[in-house]
Amino acid sequence: MSHLHAGDEGIVAHVVPDGRGRADRLAALGVTPGARIVVRQTFPGLVFECDQTELAVERMVACAILVDTTIHYEQIIQTRSEP
Amino acid sequence: MSCPYAAGREPEEQPLLKLRARPLRIALVGNPNVGKSVVFGRLTGRYATVSNYPGTTVAVTRGRALVGAEVCDVIDTPGVNTFEGAISEDEHITRVIVANGQSDLIVQLADARNLRRALVITSQLAAFQKPVVLVLNMMDEARSRGVHVNAAGLARELGIPVVEMVATEGRGLPELRAALSAATVPAVDTTQPATRWAHETTQRFRSIRRRSLGRFQEWIGRAVREPATGLPLLALVLYVSYLFVGVLGAQTLVGLIEDGLFGGLINPWATSLASHLPWAPVRDFFVGEYGLVTMGLTYALAIVLPVVTTFFLVFGFLEDSGYLPRLAIFSDRLFRAMGLNGKAVLPMVLGLGCDTMATMTTRILHTPKERLIAVLLLALGVPCSAQLATIMGILGGISFAALATLFGVVLTQMLVVGFLAARVLPGDRSEFALELPPMRLPQWRNLLTKTVLRIRWYLGEAVPLFLIGTALLFALDRVGALVVFARTAEPVVSGWLGLPATAADVFVMGFLRRDYGAAGLFEMARSGALTGVQSVVALTVMTLFVPCIANLLMIVKERGARTALWILGFVTAIAVLTGTVLNHAFRILGVTF
Repeated sequence: MSHLHAGDEGIVAHVVPDGRGRADRLAALGVTPGARIVVRQTFPGLVFECDQTELAVERMVACAILVDTTIHYEQIIQTRSEP
Repeated sequence: MSCPYAAGREPEEQPLLKLRARPLRIALVGNPNVGKSVVFGRLTGRYATVSNYPGTTVAVTRGRALVGAEVCDVIDTPGVNTFEGAISEDEHITRVIVANGQSDLIVQLADARNLRRALVITSQLAAFQKPVVLVLNMMDEARSRGVHVNAAGLARELGIPVVEMVATEGRGLPELRAALSAATVPAVDTTQPATRWAHETTQRFRSIRRRSLGRFQEWIGRAVREPATGLPLLALVLYVSYLFVGVLGAQTLVGLIEDGLFGGLINPWATSLASHLPWAPVRDFFVGEYGLVTMGLTYALAIVLPVVTTFFLVFGFLEDSGYLPRLAIFSDRLFRAMGLNGKAVLPMVLGLGCDTMATMTTRILHTPKERLIAVLLLALGVPCSAQLATIMGILGGISFAALATLFGVVLTQMLVVGFLAARVLPGDRSEFALELPPMRLPQWRNLLTKTVLRIRWYLGEAVPLFLIGTALLFALDRVGALVVFARTAEPVVSGWLGLPATAADVFVMGFLRRDYGAAGLFEMARSGALTGVQSVVALTVMTLFVPCIANLLMIVKERGARTALWILGFVTAIAVLTGTVLNHAFRILGVTF
């Protein structure tokens, strides 16, 4: 995610664990594989929206969040609206 | 059976009155900042502090509520994001309450928009085998953002009552009371990880139609976090706060109350009343130099009260707006150099209200090292509201350079100590990841309730200490101990710090309460006993000086007696040392302010 720019969107693919509960803590804030994120700002800290939560993280954390940007937004809406 | 719900049986018609060995205990549990304290207030009629940032509640509040014909114990708990893995100290407090026999029934509060995160908690709660009611709070905000939750479907899926609520308006509370008797253990698919289950369940029962917020709300949310607009806005916030607290509170109101009410009315009246007393020492006890009325009450009500009142108003407004956590974005890098992360901005800013409360708020930090550094920095350099305002009152009257020097020195001192502590102390800092609550226009009712309660707390806590302190000073003065003390401290106070010998009194007062000491300096400065340089030195030392008794006791409670003593010694040494260096530097450089 640290390579993304403000306004970029994507789907969380994986959160790299650090052995000290990073993945758990982020999961508790809603950052889990499959969650849609929108980057809002990259400096001085990275701010992004995940689901309905606005989160601020440092660069190290952003590096650990792997985001898939190839899936287009409309596609997600379609798959979501299917029962 | 003490708890009829424990078996997770089917809901059925409940008799109005049940026999229990003790009242049913209901724990309010949920993610941070979803409105647990608001619901607590609505259920029990007791006010638990409500603000708009995660971590307002770091300790447990209990109250009683009438549900049907039954009296229940209601427990307000600190917010949790997870019960598993690495959890912070406040999350641990909640876990203990949920896991052990302290609660019989759990009301899980959820932000209706953030169903996914709430369901992670629901699935973890299921493991504790206690009956649960799920409340979807802030339905109004969810709706205005185009979020729709199928509550009935969700209730069927989980097998527990799901109540829609707007707690701040009291909507949904009767439904919650009615639903309590139907609570059961939630049915959760435990074959897959909690997060995946939560994700899939959310997708089934929640739909989002993107809708833009009000233009202003969106603009302000963006403006405060982007550097180009955020930093000027921060400066503006500080300046307006200064105008309100430093000018209106510390100068206009203090002037009115001290000179007008006390100087013109109460003190002459008390003096004339006391003149009927036959014995001089008794007269002095009330209206003398260290008199209960002329010093104790005057300091507490005329100097500090107007200042803390204006401060609590500004502070409460900022708390409720959701602005404070956004400061973490700008300060993260700075705090990282000090072994902390941006999250530490919360206890630090809260310290400006009261260091004692802020010391308790360090529980939201994740590692022991972070908590220790934060407690140390609070004790060292963060001036509390009353102290801050007396500083502004004195130095604002001298020059802006004087004010800037003091804050510059104190901030540098904190940076240096934090930087060293980060390297000397064992342990790690945690990574910065913080939730930003939505920006909201504060509700005037909550702001006023909070301010009134804080003022009442100030009066209850500070006024007796001011009076006891004054009585103590009076006694010490009578037996001549004050003179001895002033003489003993003279080499330090006059020699090193270059202050008048009477300033020693003020430091004794400062230990009882920092604001009491600061009020003493305020009086000295106003009567012309301190020069500009002396004021800056004295206030810097007072700011860095030992934490007040209440704060010290809180440090003992949170971090243990050994750490507290260590902090006490360290902080005192730093304060005196800094004052000495400052005094000599001013003299050599010929600074006068």
